[in-house]
Amino acid sequence: MSLRSPDRRVVFAWAAMTPFIVLFVVFMVYPLIQSAFLALNQTYGPETQIFVGTKNFELLIEDPVFWKAIRNTLIYTLGSLFIQLPLAFGLALVLNSRRLRGRSIYRLIFFSPQLMGLVFVSVLGALAFEKRAGLVNRTLAWITTDASLLEIDWLQSYIMPTLILISLWLYVGFNMIYFLAALQNVDNSLLEAAEIDGAGPLNRLQHVIIPSVRPVATFVVLLSMIGSLQLFELPYILLQGNGGPNNQGLTIVMYLYQNGFELGDLGYASAVGWALALMLIGLALIQIWMVRREEAMR
Amino acid sequence: MSSERRSKVSRSVTHLILLLLATIVLLPYAWLLVASLKSREDFFSGMFFPPGDGFLGIAWDSLTLNNYTNLLDMGFGRAAINSIFYASTSAVFATFLSAATGYVLAKSKFRGRTLMTLVVLGSLIVPPTLLIAPSYELLYHLGLLDSVWGLLLPTFAPAFGVFLFRQAVQQSVPDELIEAARIDGCSEIGIFMVIVMPLIRPMIGAFLLITFLGMWNNFISPQIVLQSASKQPLSVAIAQLRGVYRTDYGLLMAATVVSVAPVAVLFLVLQKQFISGLTSGAVKG
Amino acid sequence: MRHALTLALLSLRHLSTGVWIIASLFVLSGVTLMFSIERSSDDLEMWVFSPEHEAMYTPMLQQMSEQAGGDIEGKNIELSLLSIPAIKSRMMSGFFGGLPTADMIEVERATVGQVFMGPPEAIGFRDITDRLKAEGLYDQINAPSLSPWSVNGHTYGLPHDVHPVMLAYRADLTEAAGIDLSLATTWDEFFTLLRPMMADKDADGRPDHYPLSMWVTQQDNIELLMLQGGGQLFDAKGIPTLDTQINAELLAEIVSWCAGDQRVATDIDEFSAGGHQARVDGEAIAYLCPDWMCSIWKMHVPGIAGKMKLMPLPAFTPGGRRTSVRGGTMLGFPKTSEEFDQAWDTAIELYTSPEIARVLYRKVDIISPIRSLWDDPVYGEPDPFFMDQPKGLMFIDLAPEIPIRSSSPYNYNAVLEIRDAAINMLNRSQDSSGEVSLSSLIEQAKRELERAQSAIERQMTRNAFTGVDSQ
Repeated sequence: MSLRSPDRRVVFAWAAMTPFIVLFVVFMVYPLIQSAFLALNQTYGPETQIFVGTKNFELLIEDPVFWKAIRNTLIYTLGSLFIQLPLAFGLALVLNSRRLRGRSIYRLIFFSPQLMGLVFVSVLGALAFEKRAGLVNRTLAWITTDASLLEIDWLQSYIMPTLILISLWLYVGFNMIYFLAALQNVDNSLLEAAEIDGAGPLNRLQHVIIPSVRPVATFVVLLSMIGSLQLFELPYILLQGNGGPNNQGLTIVMYLYQNGFELGDLGYASAVGWALALMLIGLALIQIWMVRREEAMR
Repeated sequence: MSSERRSKVSRSVTHLILLLLATIVLLPYAWLLVASLKSREDFFSGMFFPPGDGFLGIAWDSLTLNNYTNLLDMGFGRAAINSIFYASTSAVFATFLSAATGYVLAKSKFRGRTLMTLVVLGSLIVPPTLLIAPSYELLYHLGLLDSVWGLLLPTFAPAFGVFLFRQAVQQSVPDELIEAARIDGCSEIGIFMVIVMPLIRPMIGAFLLITFLGMWNNFISPQIVLQSASKQPLSVAIAQLRGVYRTDYGLLMAATVVSVAPVAVLFLVLQKQFISGLTSGAVKG
Repeated sequence: MRHALTLALLSLRHLSTGVWIIASLFVLSGVTLMFSIERSSDDLEMWVFSPEHEAMYTPMLQQMSEQAGGDIEGKNIELSLLSIPAIKSRMMSGFFGGLPTADMIEVERATVGQVFMGPPEAIGFRDITDRLKAEGLYDQINAPSLSPWSVNGHTYGLPHDVHPVMLAYRADLTEAAGIDLSLATTWDEFFTLLRPMMADKDADGRPDHYPLSMWVTQQDNIELLMLQGGGQLFDAKGIPTLDTQINAELLAEIVSWCAGDQRVATDIDEFSAGGHQARVDGEAIAYLCPDWMCSIWKMHVPGIAGKMKLMPLPAFTPGGRRTSVRGGTMLGFPKTSEEFDQAWDTAIELYTSPEIARVLYRKVDIISPIRSLWDDPVYGEPDPFFMDQPKGLMFIDLAPEIPIRSSSPYNYNAVLEIRDAAINMLNRSQDSSGEVSLSSLIEQAKRELERAQSAIERQMTRNAFTGVDSQ
């Protein structure tokens, strides 16, 4: 067979893709399809299954704990969004100023929590927010010289703020990097033109910078929401597997995990997974629609 | 105030704010490091260093490496090696398979290419949490529970990788170059290895790191799939440390340091590639 | 082939530092793992949650493996002390995944419910009924003690204890008042006998001594009393039976003790320092005392040493049952264990060993469920804490009569519902002033129990394996 034969190229193409395709079908496509069937069953471990039809979904709709999880997750998502992202953007603005020394060092510092990884940050966070020996209470008590602050039981009474604070530490730097990259791509000639036209810094911000940063901002918002809605490791490690008093720290994925792997009901867990998937797919579709709209407007 | 003075003041204020924020970010690290060197009794004494008669009023001699040696006795060394193995294996195979598939989807012409691209890229919408339960069931039926393969195999075919590499190939590999190589008599494999791979070097480096990090920090998969203590990586081992009768804080701190240090070092060496790989998706979007 | 190799080597030139680092990590760690031989444990693994058990079993196990030598093929038994949640989660994840866990696991009643959540075929522990019968052990075990670990007549665990309940009372106070409490055979007689002691001699507006320490918030005691009186929350098939006449009558009677101005019961915390102090002060005369409670008091309430006596519980009706049961632990054998025979032999040795039974009784006052061990003189030893009563024998006397309990995983939830019912009834009775009539309480109890019954049924219909369907 001659080297230039298109057949050979096709053979190579398929051969090169086969390992990926096999693994993809086995570990992505099959479970995806299977999850629909699983949701129609109740299981007690993967070996024991019984068909229950739509019962899981009916139960889910009436399940107060599930709705509590949704409520918690949404509070967390929106809280993070409205606190984290403006902070990240602000930081990016500050770091973007032309004559700032040590910018790359600051950038590294703010980004570093991401390197630790969610799991280990959760462990560190659990320790830092401990009642008496934790860093947070110690610092607060030291600053205000009020020793009673040592007794604040974050993990019992203030679970949601704790979650938001820890994820703030973890993600602000990450989002900042995106904003920074976007800011550096802002067309300087536009900025200069605005300056010549007499626009002050706030005006420039509003009319030049923000519009050109918007696509990245949208991306970051959606990425953040998608990640926040699937929050699991942080509350799981912080609260040691349960949802905390009154299930204040229970998130959707945590509820999925509890049902699927502590109670053994993979079917109910799949139903929870589908509820979450619908929320996320909805978000993804919104993003696609928004991107299409942006492109249409240009 | 002259504009010169104004900008100097604003710059100082900026630096002040940045320093404050940077301190807040760095404080937990310092606390972590120091606390990992404290013995059990000292843990509650001072916020950072235990008070004493030494230099700066710190009891330097009560700092100890005991926590770290205790970790070794508890089998953390094994957990560390497990983490390294899982993360690097996953990185290598996922990168290689994604690069190959991405290249093929970008440049090769064959029937079904569009469909396949759609399926693979479309799967990016599927939230991974949806697959947790059925994957577990699948692994059970395949007999892969509590096995290293059960943990790693599903990570070798990431659609995200194909997405990144397809894009990288499209941007960095001109068709003419490939054609020229073919005319010169280069085999298909040769084209991939010698022509294409060097051109997508940044993406290879970035994706290796991304996958390595992802697997290193992966908690839910090993938690669900692995049962034997000897197979567990650091992420699971450390979470278990937390749930014992009485929390040994120093031990936990030392475990965290051990779990984080390798990745930190890796990143310091490879940071440029990582950031460029991360942002290439967003900004060019 | 050579062609491909050359190509690979050529392309390597272009790889960046990062790739080299990660590739070498991969190779190094892979090699390390390959050469670290996994110590495939020939040992038997046993998980316990009680530090006392660990202390008791360790010397015995050491002795056994030394003695055995060639007999048990040099197998050691590795004892691990784990927290209750750790045992529960590892046990369940092992069951679900079909993965080996330990060879023997001790589980307590509060935790074991999950094991029975699915269909009987899916119970992760082995069915040891036949084995017990074959070895003649089945009849040796105090029959009712098997009930919490059995489903449909099949037993899934070795009972560790009996935990009969007696009434412990401040004999120093009663004898000083010239009252012989042991004459009381029913609860009515009991309260009548102690009425004189309720007088308010110190004029603080409250009775000097309440007859009984008991409250509507103490769900374990409510369950204990209802079981004593013949009430049952589930039938033999696991179907909930909360709303029965007898349950209503018993619940009403229990609540009546706590209701009204003439109430005879008082709320004393069972495990807190404040409660212990109240015990010393004699705020209540009598307490519901399972065998294990004796050792709790010995440890935490030394102030009542030598002042207490035990007697069988007063019955609800003349000739009725005079004991009950509270708490319990079992030893289970996971199906995934490959060393069942070895584990079985070890377990039987531990559980039928007179030595361990003696230590168990002496250290924590717990009597063994193995009837053949009841002849041991240790149970007849006078206990100075209880005015030299041979309390071991007294508990043993009552052991065969302890009530049967359900192994339903919904039992705990049912007990909580009953507790809530009792609290509601008490609150409602506080509103209407003056005396509380028993018949009105019974009516209330019926309504509350119906509500509790539907709540439990609703929970059970969520679980398709229980066979309880919503109407």
